[in-house]
Amino acid sequence: MIVVGWLDEFMWGSLVVLQIFFLALIMAVTWGLLGAAAKLSSNRAAKLTATVFTTIFRGTPELLVLLIIYFGSAITLTSIAQFFDPEVKFVDIPPLWAGSFAVSLIIGAYATETFRGAFQGVDPGTVEAARSLGISSTKTFFYVRLPQMWRLALPGFGNHMLSLVKDTALVSVIGLEEILFTADIATSVTIQPFTMYMVAALIYLGFTTVIMYGVRLMEKRANRHLEGGR
Amino acid sequence: MAQTEQDPIIRLKNVDKFFGDFQALKKVNLEVFKGQKVVVCGPSGSGKSTMIRCINRLESHDGGRILVNGIELNDSLRNIDAVRSEVGMVFQQFNLFPHLTAVGNLMLAPRLVRKKSKAEAREIAMRYLERVHIPEQADKYPVQLSGGQQQRVAIARALCMNPEIMLFDEPTSALDPEMIHEVLDVMVELANEGMTMICVTHEMGFARSVADLTVFMDAGEIVEAKPPQEFFENPEHERTRLFLSQILSH
Ligand SMILES: Nc1ncnc2c1ncn2[C@@H]1O[C@H](COP(=O)(O)OP(=O)(O)OP(=O)(O)O)[C@@H](O)[C@H]1O
Ligand SMILES: [Mg+2]
Repeated sequence: MIVVGWLDEFMWGSLVVLQIFFLALIMAVTWGLLGAAAKLSSNRAAKLTATVFTTIFRGTPELLVLLIIYFGSAITLTSIAQFFDPEVKFVDIPPLWAGSFAVSLIIGAYATETFRGAFQGVDPGTVEAARSLGISSTKTFFYVRLPQMWRLALPGFGNHMLSLVKDTALVSVIGLEEILFTADIATSVTIQPFTMYMVAALIYLGFTTVIMYGVRLMEKRANRHLEGGR
Repeated sequence: MAQTEQDPIIRLKNVDKFFGDFQALKKVNLEVFKGQKVVVCGPSGSGKSTMIRCINRLESHDGGRILVNGIELNDSLRNIDAVRSEVGMVFQQFNLFPHLTAVGNLMLAPRLVRKKSKAEAREIAMRYLERVHIPEQADKYPVQLSGGQQQRVAIARALCMNPEIMLFDEPTSALDPEMIHEVLDVMVELANEGMTMICVTHEMGFARSVADLTVFMDAGEIVEAKPPQEFFENPEHERTRLFLSQILSH
C-alpha cells in the first residue's frame, strides 16, 4: 500500500486539525456567548454590533473570510513593521492562529444565534427564584441560566462542532499542513488523487463520528433530569 | 437605623409603581409586624403580585418608601441582597430549578449565598425536606414530582435561607384541588411556628383560620385591611362586598 508511506504526514496533519479545532472551539464558544448576551441585552449599541457580526460572518463564504483575515492581518502587520524597518518584506500572524481565529468567527456567528435562542428558552421564573434567594446575578448566570440553556443549545451546537471540524480543511489554503494539504502533496508525488483524498475523507469522518457520539452522550446527560417525567 | 420590637418588620409608605404609563400601585400603605400573617386578596390585575414583588425588589417601586427589617429598599445592591436573603418567596408556578434534584434545589442558595459546605448544605436541605414531609423525594428531579410536592420543595427551598419573612404569591392556584390541602397544611404549620407571612391567596378558609390581617386590593389600591373576622362579617366598602360575594359563591 502506497498510503503507508504517508501515514506519518497524515498523522501530523490530524494533529494540526485537532489544534485548530480546540483553539477555534474555545474562541467560538466565547464569541457565541458574548454575541448572545449582546443580542439579548437592552443596550442598542451592543445589539447592533452583534447583528453586524452575525450578518457578516454567516453571510460571507467561509473561504473568503479566511483569506481576508489572513491577508488582511498580514498586510496590516507588514505595513506597521515597514514603518519601523523598511527592510521588512512580509509579516503575518502564524497561519494556525489566523486560521483558528477566522473559523471561530464563522462558527461563533452561528453559535450566537443558537445560544440566543437557548437563553430565551430558559424559564425566567427560575431566574427570579434564584434572585429572590439572594443569589447574585453572576452566580445565577452560571448556576441557573447556563446549565438550562446548555441542554437547549446542545443539538444545534453539536452541528456547529461538525461544521467546525470540516472548516479546518479550508485552512490548507493559507499553507497550514493539515490533512487536506497532506493529501494534496501526497497526490502530487504519487499521482493517486482518489486514494489520498479518500484517506483524508476517512480521517475527517473519524473525527466527526467521535463528535457525534460525544454530543449524544452529552445530550443524554443534559436530559437525564427529564426522565420519568409525569 | 435601629430596629425595635415595636417597629413593623415591613413598612410600605405611599408606594407607587408604574409600568410605563400604567399605575399598578397607588399610594400603598402597609405595616406588618413580626410574626403577623397577612392575607392579600383582590381581583386579577389589582396589583397583589406587584406589591409583594416590590417587597423583595423583584420589582422596583417608583414612589414612596419600603423598609424591610429596618433596611430601606433603594438602588443599593447591598441592601437588596441583604433583604432578599431575609425574605423567602414562593411562586405560583413553583419555579424550581429543573436541572437540579429536590435536594439540589434546596442546597444551592445555602452554598452560594451562605457559603456552607456541601455536607452542611445537604444536612440543612434534608432537615427542611422533612419539615415539608417529603424527605423520601430528595433525589428526584422536579418533573418527577407532583405539583403539590414541587410546591413543598419550593417552600422548603425558601426556608433553607432561614428567612425572617415569607412571601407567597398564589401558592395553590396552579395546583389540582386534591393537592391544595397538602401545601396549605405546610403553610399553616409555618404560621403556627411564628413565621411572618404575607400571602396572596383566594383560599378564604386559610385566611379565616390563620390571618391576623386581611387586605383587599383593587385597581392598585389597598381598599380595606382588617382582621379576618371583621373583614368577612362586616366589609366596609362596596367593592370588597362585591368581591367577597363573587369568590365565596363558588
Ligand atoms: N411587567 C409588567 N409590565 C407591564 N404591566 C404589568 C407588568 N406586571 C404587571 N403589570 C400590570 O400591572 C397590573 C397588576 O398586576 P399584578 O400582577 O400585580 O396583578 P395581580 O393582582 O397579581 O393579578 P393576578 O390575580 O392575575 O395575579 C396588571 O394590570 C398587569 O397587567
Ligand atoms: Mg398575581
